[in-house]
Amino acid sequence: MSAGLYTQLLDLACGAFLLAAVLVLWGRELAAIVRVFALQGVALAAVGLLLGAHEARWDLILVALAVGVLRAGVLPYLIRRALAVSAADRGSDEVRETQPLVNVAASLLTAALLTLLAYAVARPLTELNPTPATRALPVGLAVVLIGFFVLVTRRRALAQVVGFLLLDNGITATAFLATSGVPVIVELGVSFDVLLAVLVLQILTTRVREAFGTTDIDDLRELHD
Amino acid sequence: MSAIPAALATATALAATGALAGLGLPYRLRVAVVGVLTAGVGVAGGTAGVAALGGSRWRAVYSGLVPLAGAHVAVDALAGLFMAVAGAVLAAVAVYGIGYATGHGAHGLGSRTAQAVLPVFALSLVLVPVAAAVSTFLLLWELMALTSLFLVLAEHRGGHLPLGRSRERGSPSVRQAGTWYAVMTHLGLVLLLAGFALFAAQAGGETFATLRAGAHGIPPTVRGLVFVLVALAFTSKAGAVPLHAWLPRAHPEAPSPVSALMSAAMVNLGIYGLVRTGLDLLGGGPAWWWLGLLAMGGASAVYGILQAAMASDLKRLLAYSTSENMGLVLTGVGASGLFAAHGDKPLAALALAAALLHVVNHAAFKALLFCAAGSVLRATGLRDLDRLGGLRARMPVTAALFALAALGAVALPPGNGFISEWLLLQSLVHGLAVPGVAVAVVLPLSVALIALSTGIAAAVFVKALGVGFFARPRDERAAAAREAPPLMLAGMTLLAAGVVALALVPGLLGHGLDRAVGAVGLPGSGALTWGGLGVRLTDISARLEPLWVVAALTAAIVLATGLPRLYGRRRRRVNARLWDCGGGAPTPRMTYTATSFAEPLQRVFDDVLAPEQDVDVTPVRESAYLVERVRFQHRVPDRIEHRLYEPVLRALASTGRAARRLAGGSVHLYLGYGFAGLVVLLLALVVGW
Repeated sequence: MSAGLYTQLLDLACGAFLLAAVLVLWGRELAAIVRVFALQGVALAAVGLLLGAHEARWDLILVALAVGVLRAGVLPYLIRRALAVSAADRGSDEVRETQPLVNVAASLLTAALLTLLAYAVARPLTELNPTPATRALPVGLAVVLIGFFVLVTRRRALAQVVGFLLLDNGITATAFLATSGVPVIVELGVSFDVLLAVLVLQILTTRVREAFGTTDIDDLRELHD
Repeated sequence: MSAIPAALATATALAATGALAGLGLPYRLRVAVVGVLTAGVGVAGGTAGVAALGGSRWRAVYSGLVPLAGAHVAVDALAGLFMAVAGAVLAAVAVYGIGYATGHGAHGLGSRTAQAVLPVFALSLVLVPVAAAVSTFLLLWELMALTSLFLVLAEHRGGHLPLGRSRERGSPSVRQAGTWYAVMTHLGLVLLLAGFALFAAQAGGETFATLRAGAHGIPPTVRGLVFVLVALAFTSKAGAVPLHAWLPRAHPEAPSPVSALMSAAMVNLGIYGLVRTGLDLLGGGPAWWWLGLLAMGGASAVYGILQAAMASDLKRLLAYSTSENMGLVLTGVGASGLFAAHGDKPLAALALAAALLHVVNHAAFKALLFCAAGSVLRATGLRDLDRLGGLRARMPVTAALFALAALGAVALPPGNGFISEWLLLQSLVHGLAVPGVAVAVVLPLSVALIALSTGIAAAVFVKALGVGFFARPRDERAAAAREAPPLMLAGMTLLAAGVVALALVPGLLGHGLDRAVGAVGLPGSGALTWGGLGVRLTDISARLEPLWVVAALTAAIVLATGLPRLYGRRRRRVNARLWDCGGGAPTPRMTYTATSFAEPLQRVFDDVLAPEQDVDVTPVRESAYLVERVRFQHRVPDRIEHRLYEPVLRALASTGRAARRLAGGSVHLYLGYGFAGLVVLLLALVVGW
């Protein structure tokens, strides 16, 4: 693989990664959001694979494959299952993010601003060692910020789970791009952690719906002293 | 090689053993073993101090002891003086403490925690003056603050009650005192940390030797800032007005031996820090530093003793008196710095010697006073002077020892406090030769304030002794009082011996005091000489021979009481009933109480004290003209606390309440805080890069 092709493919994968995050903000149907999230998992795995292939490191390729299976396969499957249960239970009301706290247009604008911020913050880091990988570093940071933004503005519990996972995807991407992949054992630990978190959140979401009849977490307002 | 390192190593080993013994031993053994070991810490520390006063010096670095910086230690005569005072007080009070904690169950001072902490506190009192680097000093300082806090809280389940009475659960005043003490001592630590960090950064090193060498290269404004920060912290530890608020709370609520240690040894270390930093490390400074100290000292002296005059709680009275005496010491330190700033070294040495001698004297009589108050508290469960009384007959030894210490505290001959205050007044009176308008205004004012505080102190201790120990008991618990156990009396007798020695032959301390003054770069000897029994000021041609004063006074008293008695023998004495104005036999309720004794003073100082009175008349239901109940409430609040602290506390509380409104309960809001914080931080990073 030539250097030019590698750079172009890496940029493509990173672009798809960022675009998926923005599309999560755009979508209203939770099912569509989950699909976009799965696509982002694929893009993340592609970033890892490209880096591994470029540096000819088998452990990195292995980690990237594992990440791909988890983020594009297992996690979307789990969320979709929870979604199907709530759709069967309460009808279409529960499967749409009808009224986010910040509307879609403003969300997209904010995403643009956050991306700019990420580029501004990462500038000193890229200047340290300007390779194609570090030049793509701001994408990871931008996805972290966008994921956080989703957490803050979306009402449905499952949309929140996706936001949390976006944040984690961003962190993983940053780790790939900045350090050419963290050691296998660390990545395994992080992935396992995320899996457990999603399982717990899935159970929690079901419980919340059974108790309150909705998963709009803005209705839970007792959490103060 | 001197005896100092050996003595300090012994003290450390004894304290460690004591802490382990306090943790491990059962109650019966615990108190005695820990008491003996603590007394040993005191003796060892005192020995090191005396050796340093005798002229030997010692310095060492233990690089492994404190991470990064290493522990720097050094002992000179100034440190020696404070170590000797702390050691002597510790030795006597530890003996007293064995008696105090025995036989009252494994709670309060006898508890496992208190007994384990006590030797560590003792060790920290001895070791704080030994530190010779900022980090070492602050570590020991904090150790002292924390251990003393534990001990203040020792009786948090309610104080000593006389044997056989049921104990109330929990004492809010102890908790409150602990909170005040913890907050104020840590605010002091923050100031100290900031001041010393600034000083060390400017001087280029944190050992005291580097600071001393680098102090003169620092710009004057920074030096001034360092002094203000450090002086605020140290005067707060010394309990000077207006930073005294913790003192009248913590000292009364601590177990009495701990009160004695805090008031007679710990508070002194504030003075030590001030002298060490201001005069030694910073090497003196401009006049405004010292004028500020003089103002603080004068305010503490008068305000402290006025509040003591109003207090009816015996230990609270003593605590305020500590504030007063520290005010006098601060006046001496301030005057010393002022004279040094104007180049009059001999006078500066005299003022500092007076201040240090007053530290010693105050430690002796205040430890004894707190111990005696502790005996009263232990025997009666009462601290309220309005309910005490008649203890002279029931606790004769305690009463006599209290009287002896009170004589020292009123600063009249033949008490020991007189000598140091006389020296202080001499230095201030002769300081008028120093030029400057501020000096010409401040020094006479200081003299007047000292005179005023001495006068009120006389009233205060007449009240404490007369109302508390004479007259008739006003409470059944006071009537049932019994003399303290022998070990407590032994401890108090040791302290009393110190008081008497200081009152009669202060010359014994002479050369040590000269060396201590010399340690900060002032000419030690020369300003005052200690010829045998007396004190002679060479430059001023004034002299005082306490022994002769005592002899003359004794002769006068013997004559005044003996002659009428001889003469009166010839007349027949008629025993008749006291005239009672037809109102029936006098009852204890008719005697002077502490409140009524203080009433005239309170009227005189009405504007300063601003007492609060509240009359509440409840009429009978049938008629408005018939009174069922009249309630009269009278309080003399600490006005400075009222005006200075309460607005700050109210502002803090309302800020806290306002901050609670931020927590609305919405998860989105909480997440939003985190997100906004992150974005703002990143923006700051971008802009600031």
